[in-house]
Amino acid sequence: MGILVDSSSRVIVQGMTGREGASHSRAMKEFGTQVVAGVTPGKGGTDFEGWPVYNSVAEAKAAHDANVSIIFVPPAGAADAVLEAAHAGMPLIVLITEGVPTVDMMKAVQEVKTLDAASRAEGGQGVRLIGGNCPGLVTNGQAKVGIMPNKIYTNPGRIGLISRSGTLTYEAAKLLNDAGMGTSTTVGIGGDPVIGTTFADVLPLFEADPDTDAVVVIGEIGGADEEAAAEYIAKNMKKPVVAFISGRSAPKGKRMGHAGAIIMGDVGTPESKLAAFAAANVPVADTMPEIIDMVKAALSK
Amino acid sequence: MKLHEYQGKEILRQFGVNVQDGKVARTPDEVRQIAREYGQSVVVKAQVHVGGRGKAGGVKFSPTEDKAFENGEKILGMDIKGLTVNKVLVTKAVDIDAGVEYYVGMIVDRNVQSYTLMASAEGGMEIEEVAAATPEKIIKHRVDPVTGLRPYEAREVAIKAGFKGNLNKIADMMVKMSKAALERDAVLVEINPLFVGPDGIPLALDTKFEIDDNAMYRHADLADWRELEAEHPLEIEASTYGFAYVKLDDGNVGVLGNGAGIVMTSLDVVNRAGAKPANFLDIGGGAKADIVYNAVKLVSKDPDVKAIFINIFGGITRADEVAKGVIQALNDGILTKPVRMRIAGTAEDEAKALLAEVGSPLIQMYATMFEAADEAAKDANAAEGK
Repeated sequence: MGILVDSSSRVIVQGMTGREGASHSRAMKEFGTQVVAGVTPGKGGTDFEGWPVYNSVAEAKAAHDANVSIIFVPPAGAADAVLEAAHAGMPLIVLITEGVPTVDMMKAVQEVKTLDAASRAEGGQGVRLIGGNCPGLVTNGQAKVGIMPNKIYTNPGRIGLISRSGTLTYEAAKLLNDAGMGTSTTVGIGGDPVIGTTFADVLPLFEADPDTDAVVVIGEIGGADEEAAAEYIAKNMKKPVVAFISGRSAPKGKRMGHAGAIIMGDVGTPESKLAAFAAANVPVADTMPEIIDMVKAALSK
Repeated sequence: MKLHEYQGKEILRQFGVNVQDGKVARTPDEVRQIAREYGQSVVVKAQVHVGGRGKAGGVKFSPTEDKAFENGEKILGMDIKGLTVNKVLVTKAVDIDAGVEYYVGMIVDRNVQSYTLMASAEGGMEIEEVAAATPEKIIKHRVDPVTGLRPYEAREVAIKAGFKGNLNKIADMMVKMSKAALERDAVLVEINPLFVGPDGIPLALDTKFEIDDNAMYRHADLADWRELEAEHPLEIEASTYGFAYVKLDDGNVGVLGNGAGIVMTSLDVVNRAGAKPANFLDIGGGAKADIVYNAVKLVSKDPDVKAIFINIFGGITRADEVAKGVIQALNDGILTKPVRMRIAGTAEDEAKALLAEVGSPLIQMYATMFEAADEAAKDANAAEGK
């Protein structure tokens, strides 16, 4: 099981014929993901390494009954690619692209939410956007819709993982993997200020997943997503959650690589996040290896 | 990209905002010239990319031409928080006591996945101070990113904030500010103070404007406004390589890694090891040897750096490429400070083999990021006699 993607997911790649799109299409296939087609406007009707390429998401979706789209389109066209997939009724859209203008993301996220509500009101599956500027998602042993290294996902397990950072996702997944615990599903939600899915959106899915026993949340400075997650956990979660916060020593007002990782005034400080998790009885690891000990401790209770 | 006050005002003016008249001067003589032209009292305002100009003495009321010249002399060349003032804005002075000062601003707010409009009758002071002392005096409202702020919403917010004056004109100014934000990709725009005179007409006396770097490609007309001299010299060099680099104060360990998250955590780890990170440097994903070489070169140049901590978890980044870049820097004599590395992930074994072959005491590999950071911290602190 796991959440959001599994071995039955049928994936199309928007921007498959680009450099990143091509190499990650191959890596996803190697992982075992059912990559069914690519979309590159203008290259419809051609073949790319055995995959049929279409001009539009709607065509690809109709021809292959696809239910997930992963986007590698360059920043200027990325939000438009999201809207194309959303209007084609794609239930899950994963935006990998980094550097998309924030105003474009605001507009796209709002429209996706409107389409999601409309779809659900009609009894449909809804539309969910993950990212942008994210590493995607993996359900261990089943499917990867993302750019994580395949070899850190050799050991399927029962820990859910959610992270704002790509590299720290790998770091945590490897630690869990090497500790013999392994992950169920990993969701990289992205490091941008405006993203489609937040920690608090993913936590209920893990809470409901019979294959997940505990959840690790990898947060960072900036914004208040960790605070919202803590509030959700305190009110709704029975499964144990362990947190980690990156950038605790970063100075105020300086943007730490991720556009979203900036402390502005009193918003986004590590103190605020630590306090929120403490109030929700969520242990926060000081170092990444401590995450493992804390998960073990939480599960043995 | 942060804009100067005069640049932010220029943009607001393009969107029809009623902005206080002003001109830029680079010499005291130019300041006098502008004051003479206006034929009234003026305010001379330092144009630097830091807050708190007023407190630092960078904003001065000048009742006469001579006083304007004198203030120009004082402010031009002045150092404000490490930045030299090269330009001043000379504006027509306004009789503040005859009216009221309000605050309006818009900021990218991840919690509402759009802009939040903020308005307060407590204008003229930093909004952070108002937020800390009297948060109830700030009215917040989510702006729809597709429609922008509508006049009725602006009026509602203005009424809630307790604004007095010509409500339609004040709301209109807020609507125009929203248009400027959306069309010019602002991450932050403030009009503060928004002055309302006895006639009830709003006037923008000062502004802060910051543009989303990701959107700069569609604002080619503003590219000339990027001022490299206003940033740290190493940050300028880093931008030519395309690195995400931030110079940090009081550091002694240079830090570089692949990915914002891992570098942020590396800073934390250096701190825990008892040293201070001198910089944030993300080489990005999939970096080749030449990029690593440039990164090592850049960090080595920093006189604050006494040791270098490299933290790589290779996904798309190949560890052997990282090793090659570091070795090249060593062979070229660029690398003179100890490098303590932790390299894991793709092509890890190849990287270790390459580094073992070189066998330089300057470059050491460690199994975990903690050991590598500890050693880098020890080396850096030892070099400083700590």
